Amino acid sequence: MLIFVGTSYEAMDLSPEEMQARFGNWFKWQQKMEADGVVLKGGHALHSGKRHVSGPDRKITDRTLTDSTSAEVKELVGGYYIVSAKDIEEATEIAQGYPDYDIGGTVEIREVMVFNG
Amino acid sequence: MSETKPPLVEHLFRHQYGKMVAALTRIFGPSNLETIEDAVQDTFMKAMVAWREGIPENPEGWLMTAAKNRAIDLFRKLTADEKRVLKMDSGTSAIALGEVFLESEIEDAQLRMIFMACHPSLNPRDQIAFALKTISGFSSKEIASALLLKEETVKKRLVRARKSIAALDLEFKIPQGTDLPPRLNRVLEVLYLIFNEGFHSGKKEILVRKELCGEAMRFCQMLLKNPFTKTSEAHALFGLMCFHSARLEGKISADNEIIDLKNQDRSKWFGPLVILGNEAMNKAVEKGKYSTYHFEAAIAAEHLKAKTFEETDWNQIHNYYHQLHELQPTVFNLLNIAFVKMQLGKLSEAFEILMTFHPKDLEQRAYLYYGTIAEYHILKNEKSKAINSLDEALKLVKNEAEKTYLKRKKEKINESM
Repeated sequence: MLIFVGTSYEAMDLSPEEMQARFGNWFKWQQKMEADGVVLKGGHALHSGKRHVSGPDRKITDRTLTDSTSAEVKELVGGYYIVSAKDIEEATEIAQGYPDYDIGGTVEIREVMVFNG
Repeated sequence: MSETKPPLVEHLFRHQYGKMVAALTRIFGPSNLETIEDAVQDTFMKAMVAWREGIPENPEGWLMTAAKNRAIDLFRKLTADEKRVLKMDSGTSAIALGEVFLESEIEDAQLRMIFMACHPSLNPRDQIAFALKTISGFSSKEIASALLLKEETVKKRLVRARKSIAALDLEFKIPQGTDLPPRLNRVLEVLYLIFNEGFHSGKKEILVRKELCGEAMRFCQMLLKNPFTKTSEAHALFGLMCFHSARLEGKISADNEIIDLKNQDRSKWFGPLVILGNEAMNKAVEKGKYSTYHFEAAIAAEHLKAKTFEETDWNQIHNYYHQLHELQPTVFNLLNIAFVKMQLGKLSEAFEILMTFHPKDLEQRAYLYYGTIAEYHILKNEKSKAINSLDEALKLVKNEAEKTYLKRKKEKINESM
């Protein structure tokens, strides 16, 4: 699983021209992955607003809910892709194509556990 | 699979931005411009993520619908927050909502936006920035970079323009009757200024220059599509822009240095633009009434006609400059006339003209005066005087590319001494 962390276009004041260029890069990457047959499950982008649920109690009413829309951008998960790779190195290779490194984005690579039932 | 082909038409977002802002302004009125621009911006954000896995069949339609919905959302939120009632643009100019998004109505809305951007009650310095923002979808950063301004300055100008529009409650319409000619004149002037910012830009990057010139030409073409605004002057201005643009590639060397007319590789001049310019000029002269744009275009065309610098018909150019100067006397014309006279070997006449005005009259382009004086001394083989004049020019010139050009010229004289 490739998890994209830390870019929020919202705060960047991108012009339409820049947005089109960024979109073009993503589209090309997506197409390339599809052509290489590595995409297992197409990505999803995630909204930047998030809600935390926490609290030890068993009663739902006692749990704490926090809405945070202005979360630390650095930690913001913006979306994910599930790709097929034989090992973490190959997944890392695929992640090289991620188009938003130049604006401070990072890719977190996690192996999805497979349970044989 | 074609990986080299970009997934979308070039500049689609940029051009669509202007269309969407104009169409929505027609519905919600110019006093809501900021909210409208936010809605359009949000729509692109959404599109650039939503389209990753596939581009809709009709991207323009998708964007327009999404922008309209987003705008309605934003206005609902605003009215709920501020308990105010949204004032929709109404009256005789109001048309059915569905029609606003017809191609012809969008073109009409964009023309209205051009006229509003060039409204005489806006600060002239704000007009260009505002036009580039609302019609071309340039960001403040891109405007700053294109006009060699600070981003903060651009932002201030944009805020001021929006405020004036709201405060003056400017109408979003194309002026009619006797109101039209003076307003159209100002529009043409602003387009001419945007074009010149690109053509004479201090920016080395050819891309920025091309984009400004390209946008000015696109605006001009919008005028030429409307029966009331496709005047002789508008055609002539478009022709002039075509002729100048045709030379744009030849003007800058591979090392980003300016090449003067004498040394440009004329094979690099772009033929299709010359043809387009000629077509525009044919329409421009139909009525037999000539504007400054006509003469400027005619001069540019003379340069394009000459296969080499030596073959230039300086007599004809001299003639056009005189007519131009009669129509609108400027010190720049005098400077050019002096330059042309030098090419014709009429050195003392050229010098006399140069003595009739002061370099300060040329304001930030005073260095051109000293550059021309230097040229005079070069032709008279007065090398040390030429160097003195070039030094004066170098003291005043700000643009790096032009500075390099003047230094080169000086070096050449030094080498020949």
